[in-house]
This record gives sequence, structure tokens and C-alpha cells, in this order.
Amino acid sequence: MAASKCTQLTAALSRQLLDSIDCVLFDCDGVIWRGDQAIPGAPEVISSLKKNGKRVFFVTNNSTKTRQMYADKLGKLGFDATADEVFGTVYCSAVYLKNVCKLDGKVYLIGSNAMRQELEDVGIRPVGVGPDPVSGVQKDWANVPLDKEVQAVLVSFDEHFSYMKLNRALQYLCNPDCQFVGTNTDTRLPLEGGKAVPGTGCLLRAVETAAQRQAQVVGKPSNFMFECVASQLGLDLERCLMVGDRLDTDIMLGSNCGLKTLLTLTGVSTVAEAEANQKSECPHQQKMKEVRRVL
Amino acid sequence: MAGAAGGGRGCVTLCGAQIRDLLDAKHNVLFDCDGVIWNGETAVTGAPEVVSLLKQRGKRVFFVTNNCTRPRENYVQKFSRLGFTDVAEEEIFSSAYCSAAYLRDVARLQGKVYVIGCGGVLKELRDAGVPVAEEEDAEPGASIYNCPLDPDVKAVLVGYDENFTFMKLAKACCYLRSSECLFLATDPDPWHPLRGGRVTPGSGSLTAALETASSRKATVIGKPSRFMFDCISSQFGLDPAHSLMIGDRLETDVLFGSNCGLATVLTLTGVSTLQEAFAFRDSQEPQQKHCAPDYVVESVADILQALEE
Repeated sequence: MAASKCTQLTAALSRQLLDSIDCVLFDCDGVIWRGDQAIPGAPEVISSLKKNGKRVFFVTNNSTKTRQMYADKLGKLGFDATADEVFGTVYCSAVYLKNVCKLDGKVYLIGSNAMRQELEDVGIRPVGVGPDPVSGVQKDWANVPLDKEVQAVLVSFDEHFSYMKLNRALQYLCNPDCQFVGTNTDTRLPLEGGKAVPGTGCLLRAVETAAQRQAQVVGKPSNFMFECVASQLGLDLERCLMVGDRLDTDIMLGSNCGLKTLLTLTGVSTVAEAEANQKSECPHQQKMKEVRRVL
Repeated sequence: MAGAAGGGRGCVTLCGAQIRDLLDAKHNVLFDCDGVIWNGETAVTGAPEVVSLLKQRGKRVFFVTNNCTRPRENYVQKFSRLGFTDVAEEEIFSSAYCSAAYLRDVARLQGKVYVIGCGGVLKELRDAGVPVAEEEDAEPGASIYNCPLDPDVKAVLVGYDENFTFMKLAKACCYLRSSECLFLATDPDPWHPLRGGRVTPGSGSLTAALETASSRKATVIGKPSRFMFDCISSQFGLDPAHSLMIGDRLETDVLFGSNCGLATVLTLTGVSTLQEAFAFRDSQEPQQKHCAPDYVVESVADILQALEE
């Protein structure tokens, strides 16, 4: 494969690319679906890749769903996929806390029931999930009861985020031995129907600012998402392709991990941005349609 | 002026005659409150007497605080409660009061402001005649995915809010999608100190969430931004060359004084330490150097000794 950058894939180049890889990792939002609609042709691409002997995985920063919830969504949209092919930040953060942070106790969780479930599945006990309105007066807040078994604070998407949760996280993080992890830094969370709400990144910034500490972030572009896939499945980097729509997360992750990268133009980033980034993290450019035709 | 400390300019510890000399040259004294004249509900020993004496000696005294939780009239009561005998409402400038003044006099807001804030801010806005968008808590069918918006909102103001929720963040973010909607923050403080060395999240942490959500930067009213000084000056005509700022937080009070061309004094009864002051003084970065105070006192009570000698 030529080492040139930002190359528009032609049919011939697509064939060459596909022959050189065994494994394809797909981002989800803006790549294979938008909200609750599959991108036309995407389910067929996945099926064809598998028929051609390629392994397919889904790597997403979305921190609202368990692996099974993703598998259910994929199935509903016509994709041939199973739960153990999905690597979302919810699942990967649980693995990270267990294997990297070596957590052996509780975590104070700003997050959803999905996040709680994945943590419980790896044997970590979360506290703090659900609504947490303020009570008492200011001097009570510094003295909220802290659970001595909490060893880390984890911030993920939480529609019940409140001042009180921010306060509790701050009190735990005043202890420098308490670890601090965030699922992802995305500033918006895309929803069904094309809407969006503030993303996990906003909640994480609030906690980082109050605590004057930086979180360890699991989601793209951090390498961990790929390491999580690779360590479980034994992948050959040289023969992996990362397909995404965001230069600053998907493509950066791919480049940092030494993978080939493919930018699809159905999502966030544009050709102009890709070319402007040419020096640092350049993708091979394409539209999904080309790949399908080749298959 | 002879100074005690070694090394470069600034961070000169003052005592006795030096304080008197400094005060002789200054007509206006600006005090921060938390950590300077009181800590929580306890006055710093000697602070009430210092304020009285300064006024008796003909100085004008002002109080400049980033704390936006109370309206001015509550501050008057607090001053009285803690033994400060003659502090008038007009001498108190809080970030809540100044935010309202900014919306009314500088932005000349035509429309409503959507507020993420507490009672103190809402009261100051009402007193200034700035219309506030009503918060409808139990709107049927409202959720973070579908929140009703008020078409008259032309500004968003964010400050400390113990009732902060994801819903408020989502709503504010929707309003800020229009580039014509102003984006203000009362103050940048990431956390506030409470008694016993404890902390609670500050306005700065909520502002950070909203800036991240909207990809916009807020205009910050409180210290170290100049606006509070401009607000005082517009009412009382202050000459920076004859004004002194006394505070306890290097990145807010001292930087504020520096930004406004005032002489600055760090008092050690609050947040920042002498070591931190030296570190700023010795830094290579210009912005950091501006956080180093001209002078240092152990406590504002040192001024008392100087005035009484």
C-alpha cells in the first residue's frame, strides 16, 4: 500500500486496501448510523467484510449503553453484529478500572444504570447513581458522608448530573490517592432524531475544574480503546483498519496505534480539515459506497 | 520604600512605618472579603477596627468580592453582625451586583437573561430591573431531550448554583447557539473555601461545563477581570495610582489589582501562601508575574498597628 496521505480511494485502491487487512474497526455515530438510522449501504458493507473473512469491531465513545444494548441497536438497524464485537467506553472503562487502575473496592460514579451494570459485571461496586438533589446548607456540603471504600471517581454521561454530585466528586478527589477516570471528552451526545445534548466532556470539565485535577480518559483518542480490543482478541496492527468520521478522535486513535485509517465523509470532519491536518494525522479518504462496490 | 524580603521586585513584607507610608499615598482602599476581613462567620481579628480607622483618616473604603451568593443588603447585615459598624451598601461590590450592572449599563440588554445562579444573583438582577427568564420546573413533557425555550432570552448568566442540573446546562446551551445571545459568568473561581480547609465547587466549574457544551467563552465579570473596578470607578471616580487592593487569592485579587493598575497587598489569612507568592514573582511568564503582590502582610490587623502608632 502506498504511504501517501489523504488519498481518495478508488476502486482499485480499495481492493488493494482490503487485501492488506484482516480486521476493521468502525466508529458508529456518523459512520454506520446517524441517530436511529443506518447509513445506506453500511449494513451490507459489514456483512460483506465478514463474508470475505475480515473481523469487524465497533469502537464508540458513546457512554450511555452496555455492550448488549449496542448489539440490540445494531440488530434493529439491520447489522450483523454481536455484543462481544462492541467496544464502547462504558465497557472499556469498567475494564480500565479493573485492569489498569487495579481497583479493588468501590467507585463513586457519575453515570447511568448502563455504566453501573458494566462495572458490576467486572466486580466493581459503584455508588452514587441516580438523582442526587441538594439538601442542607453550604457548610453541610463539605461534610457529606464519604464512603471509605471508594477508591476512584468515574465520570460518564449522566442526565441526573447536579451540583451535589459535582460536590461529592470534589470531596472524594480532595484525597490525592483517589483515582480519577472519565469515559470520554465528547462535548455533545447525538440523540435519536438528529438532536444533541451536552456530552460527557462537559461534566468532566466541571469536575476537573472544581478539583483542579486531570482525569485519565478512556475514550478515543486515548489508545486504551484499541488496547482493550487488541488484548482480548490478539490483533496484528499492520493488518488493521480504523474507519471513522472524526479526525480528532477516530483518526488520531488509529494513527497513534499504528493502524491504517479511513475517513468517511458522512459525519463530522471534512476534506478541507483532513488536508489541513496533513502533517500530523492523515487519513486515507473515502466514502463507504466505494468499499461496498469493491466487495 | 525599604522592603524586608530578598530577591526580585514585589512580595515585600510590610510592617509599621512602611504601611503608614503606603497608606499616605493612597486615597482608596479596596478589600476582598472572604479570607481578608472575615472567614465564614468570624471577623478577622482587628478587621472591623481597621475599616473604621481608615475611614476616620479620610480614606474611601470599598469591598470587592467574587462571592455571588448574597444580594448587597444581606452583605450589609453580615458586616453589622460581625462588628463592622459603618459599612454602607454603596461600598459593597459583589460579582452578582456587578453582573446585573453590566447587563443593564454596558450590554444594555434588550430582552431577558437566562440565569444559572442562586438567590443573590436573581435579587440583584431584579433590583437592577433586568428581566429574568422564568424557570419552569415541572413543565409537563419537558426533559433534557425536549426543553421549552423562551424566545425573549438574549443573554445567559452563569454563576454558583446549588440547584444546578443537567437540564439547566442543556437549556443554556440551546440559548447560546445564537451568536447574538450574550454569555456572561459571575466569576471564575473553580472552588470556594469553607471552614476548616474544606472546599465546595465554585462558579468556575459550572462555567467550564457550559463553555465546553457551547464551544464559546464566557465574558467573566468577577476578579481578575477589570469590570468590577470599572463599575466602582463609574460611580465614585477612582484614580488607580491612588488606590490599593488588599486580597488573599493571588490568581484573583492580586491579578485583578495588577490588571487595573493598583498597588496590591496579599494578606496571609486566607487562601494563598507566601511561597506561592514568591513562585509567581520568580516565574518567567509575564501573566504569572502579574499574580505576585507588591506587598505582603500577615493580616489586615497589621494595618491597625501602623495606624495606631
